[in-house]
Amino acid sequence: MASMRNLILMAAVLAVLLIVPPFLGLGWQNALVNILIASLFALAFNLLSGQAGLLSFGHAAYFGMGAFATLHLMLAVEDGLGFPTPLLPLAGALAGLVVGLVAGYFSTMRSGVYFALVTLAFAELFHSLTPHLQGLFGGESGISSMRMPWQGIIFGSVLEVYYLTLGWVMLSILVLWAYTRTPFGRLTLAIRDNEQRVRFLGYNAHTAKMVIFAISAMFTGVAGALQAISNETANYALFGSQISAQVVLQTFVGGATIFFGPVVGAVSFTLFAYLVSDLTRSWLFYQGLIFVLVMLYAPAGIGGVVQHHMRSLRRADWTGLAKPYALAALGALLVGSAVIYLTETVAVLFGEEYSVNLRNAAGAYPGYHLFGLSWSPVSPLTWLVPLVLAGVGAVLLFKVRGTIAAKWEAMGRPETESTKAPDAAKLKGGAA
Amino acid sequence: MEFAIISTLNGVTYGLLLFMVSAGLTLIFGMMGVLNFAHASFYMLGAYVAYAVSSIFGFWAGLIVAPIVVGLTGMVVERYLLRRVHAHGHAHELLLTFGLAMIIEEMIKLFFGDFPVNYQMPDYLRFSAFSVYGTDYPFFRLFIGATAVVMFALLWGLLTRTRTGIVVRAAERLPSMAEALGHNIPIVFMCVFGAGAALAGLAGAVAGAFYPTNPNMGLELGVIVFVVVVVGGLGSLKGSLLASLIIGLFSSFAVGLDWSVASILDLVGLGGWAHSIGGLLTLELSSVSATIPFALMLIVLLVRPAGLMGERN
Amino acid sequence: MSTLHSQTGFALQLTDVTKSFGEISVMKGVNLAIKAGERHAVIGPNGAGKSTLFNLISGMFPVTSGDIALNGRSIVGLPPYQINRSGLARSFQITNIFPRLSVFENLRIGVLARHNVRFGLFQPVSRMRRINDEARAILAEVGLDARAADMAGDLTYSEQRALEIGMTLTTGADVILLDEPTAGMSREETAQAVELIRSVTEGKTLLMVEHDMSVVFSLCDRVSVLVYGNILATDTPKAISENREVQEAYLGEETAS
Repeated sequence: MASMRNLILMAAVLAVLLIVPPFLGLGWQNALVNILIASLFALAFNLLSGQAGLLSFGHAAYFGMGAFATLHLMLAVEDGLGFPTPLLPLAGALAGLVVGLVAGYFSTMRSGVYFALVTLAFAELFHSLTPHLQGLFGGESGISSMRMPWQGIIFGSVLEVYYLTLGWVMLSILVLWAYTRTPFGRLTLAIRDNEQRVRFLGYNAHTAKMVIFAISAMFTGVAGALQAISNETANYALFGSQISAQVVLQTFVGGATIFFGPVVGAVSFTLFAYLVSDLTRSWLFYQGLIFVLVMLYAPAGIGGVVQHHMRSLRRADWTGLAKPYALAALGALLVGSAVIYLTETVAVLFGEEYSVNLRNAAGAYPGYHLFGLSWSPVSPLTWLVPLVLAGVGAVLLFKVRGTIAAKWEAMGRPETESTKAPDAAKLKGGAA
Repeated sequence: MEFAIISTLNGVTYGLLLFMVSAGLTLIFGMMGVLNFAHASFYMLGAYVAYAVSSIFGFWAGLIVAPIVVGLTGMVVERYLLRRVHAHGHAHELLLTFGLAMIIEEMIKLFFGDFPVNYQMPDYLRFSAFSVYGTDYPFFRLFIGATAVVMFALLWGLLTRTRTGIVVRAAERLPSMAEALGHNIPIVFMCVFGAGAALAGLAGAVAGAFYPTNPNMGLELGVIVFVVVVVGGLGSLKGSLLASLIIGLFSSFAVGLDWSVASILDLVGLGGWAHSIGGLLTLELSSVSATIPFALMLIVLLVRPAGLMGERN
Repeated sequence: MSTLHSQTGFALQLTDVTKSFGEISVMKGVNLAIKAGERHAVIGPNGAGKSTLFNLISGMFPVTSGDIALNGRSIVGLPPYQINRSGLARSFQITNIFPRLSVFENLRIGVLARHNVRFGLFQPVSRMRRINDEARAILAEVGLDARAADMAGDLTYSEQRALEIGMTLTTGADVILLDEPTAGMSREETAQAVELIRSVTEGKTLLMVEHDMSVVFSLCDRVSVLVYGNILATDTPKAISENREVQEAYLGEETAS
């Protein structure tokens, strides 16, 4: 039943992704390309970090390698190599696989914290080395190429790139999903749970981890390739810690214990960045804040919260919950606005523009504009607003928290795995 | 000879600075099993707090206030954030500190801007300690090294000679046992976390006055510090010291050397071939000095996966 | 596999095995020969090195010197997974399962290894009938059918111990090492566990660490007494219980306390 519902849901999503984009503007088409790439990146990353429990902080390395390999192939196509443009991501896959095998060999010699540190170091190694390699990575400025037409398809418009990306991302997601059903997919989960026991059941855990690493890197390479095809350029910044950090954030905010959790995170963050990054310089700050809040209060991520509610869909006392949930939302909104208000105020008051104004004003504190209103930094009202917002919101949240917890407590535990078929129950562990 | 002496001095002072940051990291890890990703952010925070305080109250005030502020920040982080997620396991703690590192970096950018700030040592410290073969050697480098040495003498004394130190070491080995004996382990954890953070903050306050102070300094040093703890063996103070010095020396020597694989192949007559290939083969050591620590780490991983002084899992 | 131990007649043979951790020597030249098909217990006071002995045999720690032969072939220096593939499986003193996988999955992992589909990537595991049937058979053998779909971490303690025993069976090993399989169980649970161990090790070689002498008496053909890194004696349970030296070193202490 549940799988039938999921299937219909997925078909609907796919239909929307196929039909709607031609009616969208260029900006949205581009944003969708980025969302698709981020989703694939996060899923590939989660194969390693969520399913195998090996936390990587350097996945930018394989993303970047995929992008550069693809650009080199594109350059060769420009020079007359007869390689079909739609198959370009294969270069990224191959590069990711090969580099992933080597890096995976080293990093999987250790587990846990060591593993995380070694992956980080690998990415930094590439980041520090590649600007000095003119031939392969184009030095600091990177390399560029152009998409060549193939079989009458010009690949000139964003829409064509979008459909190419969509095809590859859907194919990859399908393969990654099928992976979880294979014996090796199950072994991946067993390694996450108890690596030592796996060894005493006749498995070479190091080789297994290396292969998982390489497969994750391979699909990450495909994501990088799609990015290269879309941008037609790449430079060493692709190996930067920002890229590695983004995918960690997206995956764990979305929920690493659920197959589509990372997609939830990737879609929401990329969408948010597209909508908000023009409005504020503090976007990365908010991102970090959201991430830490999720880690503190919803360890299984957004996906985990959604799953928890879906499981209790029929039993939960929704009418009883509606009011406290609404109050909680209001409280969160108030506290959220206070935080945004303060952050943006700080951004203005400590910004360069204001410091110039301050110098010109000779001792006085000039006013400033924010959210379409004028404010004065010396007026008590300016500071009373966030104080009141945060205060009221915090009180609301504090009060309603107990009520919600009590209501859930009264409903008992959500359906456990025991009510499901053995094969459906695998991927959905508890909290990470 | 001049090159060797200068490079050795630079390497040792840089190594001691690395040790100042990595010691707190490894101490916290050894005791609580938490790898604090935000540790290098504490270093950066120290530099910025010192910068802000010193611009009003003078250099020395900054040097004193910075570790206190950063130490208190560390205690708050341990008490109100880390302890909350402890039940979810170490990976979760790691992720939380990773998020904190991001927040600290972005907050610094928010207040101080995304560019280097002008945090300088006072003019009366800007003199040369001595000159080697006609080159003046800045006193402040020695000052950085000396600060690290003094800190460590103090820390070592505290850990081995005082009652508190013995409780800390007991808690590191067997937390539950120490707790059963009536020691307040949560407080000990909080204090050790704070002390480690304060140490990083002090390192930032001292080093920031010499090296550039910018929002990337946390990440730049942090990555090297992580390499140090992997090479030295997580949880081993001695290992950290050894690895810090090794990496400090390697880095400082590499900066001044224009060796490349091709120049080595020259010795056996293959230089021409290597130069025609280019790429990695003609890359000069000086231009990849930032890469050296990572290469070193990979070698150590191959030869001694547990690190130089680390115990096997 | 099982024909290989014909040369010596011993399924497992330890010769002058020593082990030191730094300065401390915990195995001081252990000689032990387990006949094929016998059920053999290792007893001894706490800290005698019983678990270390198991860790040496199963490849968790390397031996300092000496030889360990499985079915006549030396397994010294092999990693745990190769020792397992050579036909030796072990359980752990502290329950060591996959807590967030289903009970069925816990067993299937081992069955997959046995059938060499360790890195199978091209067929869904649900379609592998033989493997699923075998896992289900072991599930029934250890009496956990009803809990097949539950998360292993949610099982009761004695169910987890049963699962642990089931997992050692999955890889098809003919030498089974059980480390205190009845520790922490009530008398009733212990009796059940003994019956379970008896039935599942039928036709196999069993080496177990056990504290409970009644378990040893009812289950084992022979007993070895390990005291501070030395084998004090090896004999039938009855003879061991009458051995004065053993009584002084171990049993006396046990009854006195």
